[in-house]
Amino acid sequence: MSTDSRTVIVGLDGVPFGMLKKFGETGVMPNTHEIIKNGYFSKLRSSIPEISSVAWSSIITGANAAEHGIFGFIDTHPGTYSMRFPNYTDVKVKPFWEVARGESVIVNVPATYPVRPMNGVHVAGFVAIDFNKSVYPSQLVPLLKDMDYRLDVDASKAHTSMDDFLEDVDKTLDARIAAYRYLWKNQDWQNFMLIFTGTDRLMHFLWCAYADENHKYHELFVDHFRKIDVVIGEIVADLNENDTLLILSDHGFEGLETEFYVNRLLIEKGLLQFNPGTDPNLSNIAYGSKAFALDPARIFINQKGKYPEGSVAPEDRESVITELTAVFSEFEINGKKAIKHIYRKEDVYSGPYIDEGADLILIAESGINLKGAMGAKQMTGKGPFTGKHTLDDAFLLINKKIDAGQLPPTPSVIDAGQYIKSKVS
Amino acid sequence: MKDKFDHLDKLESQSVFIIREAYSQYRDVALLWSIGKDSTCLLWLVRKAFFGKIPFPVLHIDTTHKFKEIYDFREKYAKEWDLNLVIAKNEDALARGVGPDTGKFECCNELKTVALKQAIAEYGYKALYLGIRRDEHGIRAKERVFSPRDEDFEWDYKNQPPELWDQYKTKAAEEEHIRVHPILGWREIDIWEYTRRENIPVNSLYFAQDQKRFRSIGCETCCGPVDSQADSIDKIIEELKITKISERSGRAQDKESDYMMQKLRSLGYM
Repeated sequence: MSTDSRTVIVGLDGVPFGMLKKFGETGVMPNTHEIIKNGYFSKLRSSIPEISSVAWSSIITGANAAEHGIFGFIDTHPGTYSMRFPNYTDVKVKPFWEVARGESVIVNVPATYPVRPMNGVHVAGFVAIDFNKSVYPSQLVPLLKDMDYRLDVDASKAHTSMDDFLEDVDKTLDARIAAYRYLWKNQDWQNFMLIFTGTDRLMHFLWCAYADENHKYHELFVDHFRKIDVVIGEIVADLNENDTLLILSDHGFEGLETEFYVNRLLIEKGLLQFNPGTDPNLSNIAYGSKAFALDPARIFINQKGKYPEGSVAPEDRESVITELTAVFSEFEINGKKAIKHIYRKEDVYSGPYIDEGADLILIAESGINLKGAMGAKQMTGKGPFTGKHTLDDAFLLINKKIDAGQLPPTPSVIDAGQYIKSKVS
Repeated sequence: MKDKFDHLDKLESQSVFIIREAYSQYRDVALLWSIGKDSTCLLWLVRKAFFGKIPFPVLHIDTTHKFKEIYDFREKYAKEWDLNLVIAKNEDALARGVGPDTGKFECCNELKTVALKQAIAEYGYKALYLGIRRDEHGIRAKERVFSPRDEDFEWDYKNQPPELWDQYKTKAAEEEHIRVHPILGWREIDIWEYTRRENIPVNSLYFAQDQKRFRSIGCETCCGPVDSQADSIDKIIEELKITKISERSGRAQDKESDYMMQKLRSLGYM
């Protein structure tokens, strides 16, 4: 192993600043608490929209979506309404491990499927499908399978049995830890990145169990974080003085009160129509529609020349934006405004792929979860989810104090990514 | 007799040439029959190539989830055409309860891909005839008429033999089996025009009932009909000349996309 300074990154998907602080102070995560006391600890701004594929792509590249090219989990093929699922092959900026000194071990970073050859080991994260395309080099496939390694928690279990889901969350975490321990010891590496994503899955379904100490799953929820803290303790014990440890999340989380189905509002305002007699989905958008939304709340103007049924002339784009802004900013749920902020494309994106970005991106008020949901029958509702992502309160924790100027006062995931690139290269 | 050697004659004679060439090279061959229109058209061509009696097995990979009309068609014509029909199922996976409800990616993988691997291992086929066509699906545009697969079924589409001037590389390395695609260059409309000309039996699922018909058939759980008035081959051919809808639009998405969609849905996206 190299004696050069090493960089270790541990990701806790979706964990908010406040939760980590609380778990540190209350003894759930004592090892993490030590780092908080002696190092750098700050809130981190997520990407816009605040979802994992976009945010982690910024963290590994140091770039914004108009540079790295990942705008969401779902997008359309250019010039069509047909759906596509952007993946690692769509990331246009090299991740840090492709520009780093020495070898890297990369485990479970979302949006890095399918893997490609690199200097080290890469095990892809969500949404990874085929095991064989998720592991580089492929010689590690049988070894990981022997460990019962799981690419991801099967979240569909939470819809039928919470006990089955929790068992899967636990087994997935154990296998992830086994894989990390094996690679940490047996692989040469200069940079190590390990992401825990069970945290996000737990918070989606069981934020209620976190919030309520009497909830029957409260202890199981907390145990998950205890286990992760043990890993953090192991890592710290094995670090050399010059090594840097970054622990961070990609977005925050909070309790979910209501889901707001953005496309339903567009339909009711007459701004989105489907061909007569067809199901309300992307491929059936009718001429005359002014806009549609893709998850979570990226609003695309149905522009002429851009889409097959495009009906907004380029010169009318500004007036449609004004109309949409009025519709969304006025919308209320139970007498309270639902939308906190409406970002324009130019506010959030800058780079060569800006044309692929949405025209408007909505950020909701606290407790409201935005979804595209073209097929929704009502404007609002509630599913099995009790937690939702937040924009402003991801966290960044570093095991040492930071020199002034290395990070801005409230850093973003992009700043964190640039900091990582500067450390490893 | 017709006085002109037309487009369909040309396709037919090319396909028959490929079918005979492959059989002379490999002998241990089988025809993969999904019982859809393309592989049935291929089966017809193979019967022609060998003067009515196919000298090798016809393999059906049975997921057990096919339409009833598919099973009926299989039984009827296997008998009528005196086929050496081999039916292969992944019994282990079926016993474990693998099916569309337990996850479509796993279902397709276990009941189709793994079932085929098991059949190849059991019967030792060196080559398989498949009725795929270039215009069906983006990735199939890159296919070759003779297309090697390694033991893991991997298709190395970046390392394919050139096939210029109809010169085919038919030799395979020991560990490979060869997939033979005699109707690769046929279009959907060619299949229907040939089917009409030859009077090839057609599964009733392809004809419109209540304004809907199937353009592509497979498992009942993963195929949907398209809007159509076409209740005869003539009308299907007319429809194909004007439609903008893709042939496989009624099919569930590619396996991976389908599974991704499922995963995203389970977390509340889509």
